[in-house]
Amino acid sequence: MTLTQRNMSQETERADGAETVLQLENLTKRIGRKTIVDHLSFEVKQGEIVGLLGPNGAGKTTAIRMMTGLIRISGGDVRIAGKSIRAQFKEAIVHVGGIIENPEFYPYMSGFDNLKQAARMTDSVTDTRIREVIALLGLEEAQYKKVKTYSLGMRQRLGIAQALLDRPKLLILDEPTNGLDPAGIREMRDYLKQIACSERIAILVSSHLLSEIEQMCSRVVVIQNGRLVTEQSVRHRTDSQQPAIRIRVDKPEQAQEALRTLGQVQVQEVREAESELLCRVSDTDIPGMIDTLRLAGVAVYRITETTKSLEDEFLQWTGGSQIA
Amino acid sequence: MRNFTRLIQNEWLKLTKKRSFWVPVAMLAAISVLVTVMLYKFSTNVAEVDSAAQYLASMLGASGLGQFAAILAVVGTAGIVAQEYSQGTIKFLLIRSRSRGEILASKYIAAAGYTLMMTLVAGVSLYAAGGFAFGFGGTGAQWADALQSGIYGFVYSLVYVTLSFMMGALTRSTGVAIGAGLMGSMFGGIVIFKDFYKYFLFPNADLTIYEKVGPPLPGMSIGFSLTVLGVYMALFLAAGYTGFKRRDVAG
Repeated sequence: MTLTQRNMSQETERADGAETVLQLENLTKRIGRKTIVDHLSFEVKQGEIVGLLGPNGAGKTTAIRMMTGLIRISGGDVRIAGKSIRAQFKEAIVHVGGIIENPEFYPYMSGFDNLKQAARMTDSVTDTRIREVIALLGLEEAQYKKVKTYSLGMRQRLGIAQALLDRPKLLILDEPTNGLDPAGIREMRDYLKQIACSERIAILVSSHLLSEIEQMCSRVVVIQNGRLVTEQSVRHRTDSQQPAIRIRVDKPEQAQEALRTLGQVQVQEVREAESELLCRVSDTDIPGMIDTLRLAGVAVYRITETTKSLEDEFLQWTGGSQIA
Repeated sequence: MRNFTRLIQNEWLKLTKKRSFWVPVAMLAAISVLVTVMLYKFSTNVAEVDSAAQYLASMLGASGLGQFAAILAVVGTAGIVAQEYSQGTIKFLLIRSRSRGEILASKYIAAAGYTLMMTLVAGVSLYAAGGFAFGFGGTGAQWADALQSGIYGFVYSLVYVTLSFMMGALTRSTGVAIGAGLMGSMFGGIVIFKDFYKYFLFPNADLTIYEKVGPPLPGMSIGFSLTVLGVYMALFLAAGYTGFKRRDVAG
């Protein structure tokens, strides 16, 4: 998986008329003389999962809270399905389902009763719909137990259930995998992917787990000091691309010599100290490459793929600040 | 309208689904019975009481069990705003397609409903206990007095529930909200003999005083007190609303 600038296929997908669900226009928050979010603008389209990344104190949570009306906006605006959260709060927020930090419920009520509470605050959610989301999130057995007996993973699922109740166009999740164990994180990721795909809703997710974002999102928005740093799409690599690989051999110079004759392999660097070669080669040409090396009397110890992780890129964008 | 009644239903369920909901109710009923037994056995003040209705009329006001009912109503409702913050559920509450004004109003109505319920609990348990002590029933005039006393008791409770409601909305602290309500009801017994004091909340809260001992300060009447109470309650609600509406929900 690598990051590239917004690629062609995505551009055409956008041209297909995917609706812009969330639009930030110069969103700004000032508290006293401090500017916490500074003219932040980006968009999220239908069916997209977008990650919001940034170091500690970058303004992610403040931005998300402004999008959901929890914090007042100092400047700019947020549009949800075209409606301004400032001027038409009720019409805008009706399209949003959200979990802001930990999903909190009334602990002395059952999961079902908590969903009923949420349903009574909507115009159209029926008991049938409540049963539907309970089934979707696999909460049938736990639904009549009090929420205080729930594990964090179950509460997260209940959180998603309540967020999905009113069939939102946009799901906003602030740190949805916070405190979950690896199995829970994976489960959450799978739910979100499935939901984005089947219900065609847009998802904006902030997380401090970069690998999470990498595996889940189609695009990332990176902010620092309240400002947009970069906007990139996360692309899954296809076979046609040439991945970078690292080959460890006994005689690196001899190996370089042997591979020079092979057109399909580009040797980029020879590292004498580690006895390694860095090359670009497509998967289908690797067997040929190994044969060539063997015939040249070079012993191959290991071949590894070198991908630049989102983490590396993130540190590059934000100048090495600590991630949160 | 249906949307709004469903908000009130939500708030009522949040109050009543808690197990601790029954504690103030049970305490009020128990105290009502206990006080009645004590009065019946050991007090000479109740010698001329000849019916439960007459007994009710004397006990439902703030000088009877009304103050106790008010304190329990304050305790029962003080957390109605503050607990949403301490539980973190405020986030779920405010990211729905309902305005903050509607949400706060539904909470206030639920709190007022709880206060009314406490007045009724006091009324029913006093009537039951008083019935055994002094005989059930009563004359029409006695019932009218009992009703008036009940209404005055309710008004007294509601004044302090409103004060505590405002403090809860402004400070987000259940403790401060309870403290404000309790302090207020304690100040009611103290009268400062200065003319300006009649414009304070405290000497006006107990309306039964006009029936029993007359105006606490010269120039006060029941109409005057009702006006003062109305103005204070409107101020409390406006302050609570402004604080609740403007606050950033961060952290």
